[in-house]
Amino acid sequence: MSEHVKPDDIDAVIHERVRLSIVSALAVSPQLGFGELKSMLGLTDGNLSAHSRTLEEAGYIVVEKSFRGRRPYTEMRLTPKGRRAFERYLATLRQIVDRGEST
Amino acid sequence: MNADEAKTRMLEVQRIMERATLFTLLPGTPAIAGGLMVLGGCAASYAMFHALDFADILNVSPNQQVLFCLMWFAIGVMGVVIEAVSTTRAAARQGVAPADRPMRVAAFSLTPSVVVAVVLTAKFLLPINAMAWKMLWTWNFNMPLMPKAEEIQYIVPVWMMLYGTGVYTAGLFSIRPPRVLGLTFIALGIFTLLCFPQYGVVAAAVSFGLLHIVFGLYIVHKQRQTVVR
Repeated sequence: MSEHVKPDDIDAVIHERVRLSIVSALAVSPQLGFGELKSMLGLTDGNLSAHSRTLEEAGYIVVEKSFRGRRPYTEMRLTPKGRRAFERYLATLRQIVDRGEST
Repeated sequence: MNADEAKTRMLEVQRIMERATLFTLLPGTPAIAGGLMVLGGCAASYAMFHALDFADILNVSPNQQVLFCLMWFAIGVMGVVIEAVSTTRAAARQGVAPADRPMRVAAFSLTPSVVVAVVLTAKFLLPINAMAWKMLWTWNFNMPLMPKAEEIQYIVPVWMMLYGTGVYTAGLFSIRPPRVLGLTFIALGIFTLLCFPQYGVVAAAVSFGLLHIVFGLYIVHKQRQTVVR
């Protein structure tokens, strides 16, 4: 990372608040069901679907759909790429806080 | 983004990670062990006074009454110890220190209602009233001081409702299953208190016994699913 934080250093995919919440929850849980995440983060179905799709397209999470009995079941987990991006984002935040910088 | 915004973001991330961590720290196996111990305690109680009403403890010998109280006290202490040890080990596996915020939140949520339940139990079992204080004050222990049957019947539903309240509150910082468990305890407690206080042994077996076992099995199942992937 460079000496000073530039706007480009902040990952726009993770920076969005809901997506950051999703990635933060998945960072400490190997996987979480759609319903669990929705309840944990207080999101609506549509909101969680839309943001998880963005994260999936960026390669940060994997969304797996299956059936439990007759009911569809969706679960998500963080990919190694997603974990690296999350750690980079946290490091950037830390740098901003430590140096009292702004981007 | 300035430093204050970054700090706020970091705090948000920390809160969410704590909330998600609590899920993996939920005590599945201890809940099953606790449930089995309670079922054993209910069976032993029934064997002791051959009735489904805890108030029938008044009809057995003083020695058996003491044994009964010690048995339930031991079950309670063992339940807490097993849960504490298990959660601490799970936390160590997750890289969370036992005194970290998620565990403190869970402990602090449960403690007030358990303390209230202990105080009420003491009040119901040992009728601590004006007469008791007079006995202590005059050092005259010849006055009758027997607990009332209906007060003993309140002990199980009171524990169910207060324990349920504590679990529900702890669940507010985690995912839905603990909240559902808490609400089920509260509902069963209200039902027992209003409709069947004389079946305390059954109520304890169903709630603290079976409900804990079902909850524990569910959590163990969910956590295994999480680990296997």
